[in-house]
Formats: sequence, structure tokens, C-alpha cells
Amino acid sequence: MDTMSLLMNGFAVALTPESIMFAVIGAILGTLIGALPGLGPANGVAILIPLAFSLGLSPTSSLILLTSVYAGAMYGGRISSILLNIPGDEPAMMTCLDGYPMALKGKAAEALAISAIASFIGSFIATIGLVILAPILAKFALKFGPAEYFALFALAFATLGGITGKNQFKTLMAAAIGLMIASVGIDISTGVQRFTFNTLELFEGVDFIIAIVGLFAISELLFFLERHAGDGLKQVAINKLKLSPKDIIKVLPASFRGAVLGFVAGVLPGAGASLGSFISYTLEKRVSDKDGTFGKGDARGVAAPEAGNNGAASGALVPMLTLGVPGSGTTAVLLAMLISLNISPGPMLFQQNADLVWGVIAAMFVGNLVLLLLNIPMVGIFVRLLSIPPKYLMPVVTLIASVGIYSVSHSALDLYFMVGFGVLGYIFRKVDIPLVPIILGMLLGPEMEKSLRHALVLSDGDWTALFNSGLSMGLWTVAILGLVLPIIVGPIVRAKMSKSKAATKED
Amino acid sequence: MRINDRVFGMLMLILAVAYGWEATQFPIPFGGHESVGPETFPIMLSIILGISSIYMIVRPDPDEKWAPVAMLIELSVVVLAMLAFAWAIEPIGFMPAAALVVSFLSWRMGASIAKSFITGVTSSIIIFFLFNNVLELALPLGLLEF
Repeated sequence: MDTMSLLMNGFAVALTPESIMFAVIGAILGTLIGALPGLGPANGVAILIPLAFSLGLSPTSSLILLTSVYAGAMYGGRISSILLNIPGDEPAMMTCLDGYPMALKGKAAEALAISAIASFIGSFIATIGLVILAPILAKFALKFGPAEYFALFALAFATLGGITGKNQFKTLMAAAIGLMIASVGIDISTGVQRFTFNTLELFEGVDFIIAIVGLFAISELLFFLERHAGDGLKQVAINKLKLSPKDIIKVLPASFRGAVLGFVAGVLPGAGASLGSFISYTLEKRVSDKDGTFGKGDARGVAAPEAGNNGAASGALVPMLTLGVPGSGTTAVLLAMLISLNISPGPMLFQQNADLVWGVIAAMFVGNLVLLLLNIPMVGIFVRLLSIPPKYLMPVVTLIASVGIYSVSHSALDLYFMVGFGVLGYIFRKVDIPLVPIILGMLLGPEMEKSLRHALVLSDGDWTALFNSGLSMGLWTVAILGLVLPIIVGPIVRAKMSKSKAATKED
Repeated sequence: MRINDRVFGMLMLILAVAYGWEATQFPIPFGGHESVGPETFPIMLSIILGISSIYMIVRPDPDEKWAPVAMLIELSVVVLAMLAFAWAIEPIGFMPAAALVVSFLSWRMGASIAKSFITGVTSSIIIFFLFNNVLELALPLGLLEF
């Protein structure tokens, strides 16, 4: 089989000592990043991009490093869910429901171990799904012309708010702002200066890496200060692990169901990891909660959402790698990495950079195994690090972020820009403007404009060309549905999510 | 109160108009007009931004509470401290500048003066040597350069 041999080549790349080293480093960093409340995966990956960039790592190494960080963050998110009842990142929210009660019952170590196993199963199955689905989708995407791509970009923005999105107009506004920032600089096809105000520094446009670090990391610091959250939270003590094979077998079906559902949710536009873990949990509750133990510390209630969010995390890589259209904040940041390495994602990636793609996919298998091995015996170390109060940690993280930005081009100006974006991010978050569409706008802006131009030049200025093929009509329909559906369905789903959370709290 | 969204929507509307107007003023590119010029896409964007900001003005969401004035002043001081760090990194050098800014930040986040100073000094020294010697990314020595 073709895919099989490509994957084997991938393993040849992923099993070199260098790649394994980066996978291990990434896994450790990622787990830490995911475990610390407030420092989400998007944030963590964003801080590491400039570092990987200025270290001059090869594209393969940097991508292996960052995808391991990404996978690790999904593992790490569960630690604070279980021990603090605070999700380290949003998708880990559902893990709180049964994880924290388990910890209260003195079974913290079991909850951590089971969730690590479930995470492993989730990622593993979803990575297999990625291996099967990605080449098919990439081949299909070769049929896309510029008009279809333009529709696809519109779809990405329309569905970014997700089913649970609150205010679609704010998502739209954020996307427009991001695309506007992307339009600053010299226009590639005509050489006309746009919005540069004759400032030399703006000729090349605004560097999105600086914007990402500013918007995420610096605004997070400001929020921490405002909430006086410097002291950290009390965590449940961890006990000695007593896990029999029977316990593991008991959660296997839950993990498998969660993994598959999560993968599907991850691939679909607009769903993402949060919805993946939510669906996995609710379905598992319906299937196996016969004695009403869910929400009171049932191991299956830990396994299902964990498998679900890890499955969704790998699933989200499918549209990112094959179409160049990320479905979540973190995959958007990974896309930023690809673009800054001069690799254009999309269907051609699988033909032009087959080594890289398959190397990274194989590295995901390796990284996943590393994560499982790290997370069962070494969980105590992560727990200890988790107890460092943010008042010491956040300033140091900010410092590392600044050093990363500074070492890209050794200019203080970039740091001013970073702080400026931090202030902007703070204001945006105050008025509830989502940050991810802004980032995505900055990333996709040039490509989106290019496809619009190509489409219209081919049709000699006829705008109906954008809607001419069945494929583009389909994409536009999904885009419009993605924009309109949340207004109708969103309140219902949100109410359900908060209800299931409130219900478990009452018990 | 629903002031936040109204004010922000107003600002964004101004931005949309200014951005759209600026786009119509682009010089005609070399080689004459094409069906899609450099201004087409920006004009579309300014329309989208305009529509969504009008929606925000007309149907604002409830406000998220702003911090009290004292906190806002404190946040501004923190922002200024970071800008000062950015400025100081070359003339004064990475280690002293970083030590100062990290100590300041962790003090403002509630650590005691002594502990925040220790955090600042140790973290800046460790990061300096990590970057300079292990990762081989040169950070400026500044005043410490002899």
C-alpha cells in the first residue's frame, strides 16, 4: 500500500535520535503548558514558535517539537482538571466532572493514570484516522480552484465560532480585523503600498508571530494581574497508585467510543476539541451510566472525555494539513509555524513535502507513546511543578516569550509591537471579541485575497464565478449554515453544557 | 450596562470607514486597472467590519466589568514596565533589565519583595546562560560588557 510505505518512511524520519529528542522535549514542555491553568495550548505553542524559529531548527524538527507540545498540552490539561477542578484548557472541562470527585475520594492517582491511558487511546486512534483520511482529503482538495479556495476560507471563518459560539457578529468582526492587519504592507501582486503610511517598518507587513504572542501571552498576564490570581489554587493531594488490569479493561470501551467521536468532531469544521469531549462524555453517560455513578467519580466518565479531546486534537490536524484551514486556535498557531517556515499547507503539502508530513505523523505516534510513558510514572513531578504559584511563574513565562520575540530579529521595535498587541488583546477580550479569528485572519489573509484575485481574473471580473461550481456552492452553503446555525442551536447546546456541569456540582 | 460594546462598535465603525476610504485612495498600479485591484479586498473587508460594528452598536452584549481605576493604572504601569524593558534590553543589557522587570511583575502579582527579587535575578541569569551558551542565541550584555 502506498500510504503504508510513506508512513514507514515517516517512521524512518521520526525515529532518528534528533527527532526523538525533540519529541521528548516537546512532550514534557507540552504537558507543563497544558497543566498550568491559564497557559493554554495555543499560548504555549505561540511562545515556542519564535524560539524554534530563531534556533534555526529544520522544518521537520520544529514541527515535531510543536506537534508534541500540542499533544502534550492535551495530556496536561487533565492534571489540573482532576487535582484542582479547574481545566487547564477549555477541552479539559468535561474531565473535571468525574475526575475531581475521584480525586476527592482519594483516587487522584487512579484518575490521572486512567486519563493518561484514555488520552493515549484517543490520540492513537485519531492519528490512525489521520493517516487514512488525510491523503484522501488531500487528493480531493486538488480539485479545488481559486473560487473553491475562496469559499473554503470563508467557511473557515464562518465556522470558527463553533456551534457554541455566542455572538457571530463578533467572530465576523474579529476575522475582518485580522484580515485587515494582514493587508498592511506592499501588495504582492501589484507592488502598491497599502496602509503603510510610508513607514519602512510596515512595508513587509505586521509579523503574525509577534501578534500571536502579544495577543495571547501578554494579555493573559494582564488578566492574571487584574484578577489577583497570583497565589494559585489549592490542590487535592495525590495518593499511591493502585491500578489493576481490570480497572483498565473496564474503561477501554469508553475510551474507544470517546476516541472515535472526538476524531470526527475534530475533523468537522466548527466543532473542535471542546465539543469532542462534551459529546463523548454525554454519550458515554447515556450508554453506561446505569447506576447513576457518573459525576460522582466514575472512571469511565474520566476516560471518555479525555479520549474525546485527544482524539479531536489529532483530528483537527486533518483540515489544517490537507486544506491549510485550521479549525481551532492551537492548530491556527501551528499553521503560523508552517507559514513562517515557508511551507504552504494544503493539498500540495502531501506531494511536495511528503517527507515532512509523514515524518510529523509518525512523530505523533512516537510522541504519544512518550507521553504515556512520561505521564504514568512521572506525574508526581508535573504535579509538583503545578504547585508553583503563578506569581513566580507568569513573569518568567513572559520573559521567555519576550526573549523569543527579541531573538527573531534582534530589534526592540518587535517587543514594542508585542506589548501593543498585548494591550489590544486585553481590550478585545474585555469586549468579548474572540482572538482566534484575528490570528486566523492574519494568517490566511494573503492566501484568501490571492484566491479571490485568481478567481476573478480567470472569469474576467465576473463575480458570479465565485459561485459557479457545485463544489463552491456546497462550501458556501456550509459556510452560511456555520454562521447561522449557532444563533439557533448555540443557546440550546450551551444551556445543556452548563446544566450537566451544574448538576454534578450539586451532588 | 451595555456601554462597552457601543463604544467599541463606534470605534470599529470609524476604523471601517477610514480603512475603506484609504483603500479607494490607492494609486493605480503600474499596468493599469484590472478587474480586481489592490483595493477590492480591503473594500470588502471594510464593509464586513462596518456591518458587524453597526450590529454591535444596535444590539450590544452586556458589559464585562472593567477593573477599578486603581487597577487600570496599575496595569498601565505594568505595560510601561514592559516597554521600558524592551527599550533597556540593548543599552543596559539583558540580565539587569530582565531581573528588574521580572521582579517588578512578580511583586505586582503579590509576591513579597525579597522573593520576587530572587525570582527576577535567578530567572534572568538562568535564561541568559541558557540562551547564550546552550542555545547559542546571543543576548546583549549591555553594561556588563567589559
